[in-house]
Amino acid sequence: MGKIVGIDLGTTNSLVAYVDAQTGEPRCIPGPSGSTLCPSVVSIDPDGGIIVGEPARRRLLTQPERSIYSVKRLMGRGPSDVQSELKLFPFRIDPASRNVIRVQLGDKVFTPPEISSFILRELKNWAESYFGETVDRAVITVPAYFNDAQRQATKDAGKLAALEVLRLVNEPTAAALAYGMHEKQRGKVAVYDLGGGTFDISVLKLIFTGEGDIYQVLSTNGDTHLGGDDIDNLLQAFVHEQILQHDQIDFSPHGELAQELRKALIDIKHQLSETTTATLRFPLPNGNVFVREFTRGALEALIRPVVDRTMAPVKQALADAQLKPSELDEVVLVGGTTRTPLIRRTVQEFFDRKPHTELNPDEVVALGAAVQANIMDKGVKNMLLLDVTPLSLGIETYGGAVAKVIPRNSTIPASAQELYTTGVDNQTGIDIHVLQGERELAKDCRSLARFTLRVPPAPAGLPRIEVKFLIDANGILQVAAKDLRTGEQHTVEVQPSYGLNDADIERMLEESIEYAEQDFAERQVIEAHTEAESILSATAKALANPQAAQLPATERQKVDASVFALQEAVKGSDYKLIRRQIDELNRTTEHLAELLMTSAVQTALEGKKLAEV
Amino acid sequence: MSTQLPVTNPPLVCWNCHERTIGTHFCPGCGKLLQLPLGSDYFAMFELPRKLWIEMGALEQKFLQLSWKLHPDNFVSATEQEREISLKRSSELNDAYRTLRDPIARVEYLLAIEGTRKNGENKQQAPPELLEEVFELNESLDELREAKAEGSDTASLRQRLEAAEKNFGEKLKDVDGALQSKAREWDGAIDAGAEVPDRGKIMAQLNDLLNRRSYIRNLVVNVQKELL
Repeated sequence: MGKIVGIDLGTTNSLVAYVDAQTGEPRCIPGPSGSTLCPSVVSIDPDGGIIVGEPARRRLLTQPERSIYSVKRLMGRGPSDVQSELKLFPFRIDPASRNVIRVQLGDKVFTPPEISSFILRELKNWAESYFGETVDRAVITVPAYFNDAQRQATKDAGKLAALEVLRLVNEPTAAALAYGMHEKQRGKVAVYDLGGGTFDISVLKLIFTGEGDIYQVLSTNGDTHLGGDDIDNLLQAFVHEQILQHDQIDFSPHGELAQELRKALIDIKHQLSETTTATLRFPLPNGNVFVREFTRGALEALIRPVVDRTMAPVKQALADAQLKPSELDEVVLVGGTTRTPLIRRTVQEFFDRKPHTELNPDEVVALGAAVQANIMDKGVKNMLLLDVTPLSLGIETYGGAVAKVIPRNSTIPASAQELYTTGVDNQTGIDIHVLQGERELAKDCRSLARFTLRVPPAPAGLPRIEVKFLIDANGILQVAAKDLRTGEQHTVEVQPSYGLNDADIERMLEESIEYAEQDFAERQVIEAHTEAESILSATAKALANPQAAQLPATERQKVDASVFALQEAVKGSDYKLIRRQIDELNRTTEHLAELLMTSAVQTALEGKKLAEV
Repeated sequence: MSTQLPVTNPPLVCWNCHERTIGTHFCPGCGKLLQLPLGSDYFAMFELPRKLWIEMGALEQKFLQLSWKLHPDNFVSATEQEREISLKRSSELNDAYRTLRDPIARVEYLLAIEGTRKNGENKQQAPPELLEEVFELNESLDELREAKAEGSDTASLRQRLEAAEKNFGEKLKDVDGALQSKAREWDGAIDAGAEVPDRGKIMAQLNDLLNRRSYIRNLVVNVQKELL
């Protein structure tokens, strides 16, 4: 079995983390650029190549029609759900989408779980390069307020990325775990988590027992479509309107210019968290430069509605936990958007205490995921998370009403049994519609699944079928049915209302081979080959240099021997052997490299290997 | 002080080593997580007698202790069967804690396992002595809805409904009080080792009180919704 990691699959950025075996501390793994943040952006090359992260983010400006950001907003949602998003986000939805949204990227079409799986694969690659080992299992975080379909979509993404998802952990809970370890906190804690696209508030009780620490979530609430993106949208609409007035330029909200403006405004937003004024200078196609100074006050006036929208969930979560703001011992801020001074002030005033911001708000969720991954991997049992389901589970009854069977904020796993019978003689099926939400009518709740219980023909009222609804520790629904007269277990074919079914996933797994990057070993071979070729060609060039004649014959022989050995190694696919021969050649050509560096550039090149000369 | 009834789970056969065992959670023989014995209920799960007064602190302690043992996190690398048992056992534990923690759900559950209250049989009938008041209340609610629809003045109607809300709120408190004393009566009967017919009488009274409570509570909620 390979390594296990914790992954924060975020709206704006994603991260991967692990627990260092020596120190026992969680750490984020950097990517090739050295940054631990992988922008959650995917871009598809005309030849089908998949680009993820910072390079993809740059392509948002140059090839917006082949690139996508904030795909998390589409996870587990149907085409009709996202109409309002389409006005604000440059998503190109395939008009043929039915239950599951399909996004057009260039001439290809992908589902949101597939696009998310590309991001997961990238992070998996980061971790594999870092460890030099395969990574095949992960704990992935989700917003606490994600419903069943959104959770299932995240789990599907993991599967498509060839990761066994050991657990989905709620983001605020993961953050509490990281803080709890770091600060050795006890008592009642509120976690306010405002990310790029989602808002969560969770109230936890941290209990110290003789056996270890228990993190018990008392209540959670939130909005899965509220975040920094909304602030960016407000800013963009505001400036767009001004440009329209001053310069009569009305650009398409989804074009390249709009993306550039958005990027410039995000910079302004970030600056205004540090300074009180910032100036936007934005070159327009008509040759003018749009210049405007923003003050922090003006930004705050503009974004106050977004901040205010977070407060209703906060109050509801406290009411559900039966706590007053003053009864909390600690408040923790999580998510990049909580760097905004207005949010810090608002939270501080509401709870009347200074919130914790010691841990990097971008990293803290991934760190918590790593802690949970470590618990599940090693069986190191020194802490336990008891999380809750954010939404009530209900069954549609007569007249379109909903009977709640598992109330929101129930500790998971949680279950409920319902007894069903027939209404007419020889009825062969009972239709069941499962929903999630707090409203009283089915049409106002989120449809999770519909299925039909098969019943053997019998007089009305005689069959007795017990249906068990179980929400597992990931917050995902399982259904089982039992015929109480025969004791027979029924298999229940649950057709998800807004998700991929098993056949979809199988097909995508097959298709993903087409796009999939090679596994770790294959990648190592390719990288070793590339490096070997480059050092071989550098050596050939160096040997052709007149200075090389000064090399003593014995050394020349050694160089030739190691060139030959490397050429032989490259014919095979033993990347470890190739690496050894590369190192060998580097060693035998040290003197040769020195000889070539006797010129004026010597000082500039000191310490470099031959291949770099 | 009353003596508590001893609580023992029926013996069962371990699914793994097939030994007969009286272990509650883990098989003393092979150490595997056991299925919950058939016929054990939420009270037995917490090793409590079927009484309605429960000490909350002790219940929470027991819940945390059992969570620590039964949670699926402990069985990630166990066999599929053990993982399934753990999922089942920890969901039952959470269901039990959720039910016993809530005084009303606790009474409903007790009545259900004692066979007094069957799923879907709790009728929502107006208690006879309240009929007149309920009739008036519904009339006022209709008038308020009409007035709202027509956009006419609702101030006096609101006043009348607020008074009714207060009135029924008081009645709700009364029922809660009656439920509490009936619950004490039940606990006393259990301690005294009451016979089935006597227990059945208290059960029926508890059931009536629950129905009355649920009816009044719905009224209050409906009024509150209209007044929003």
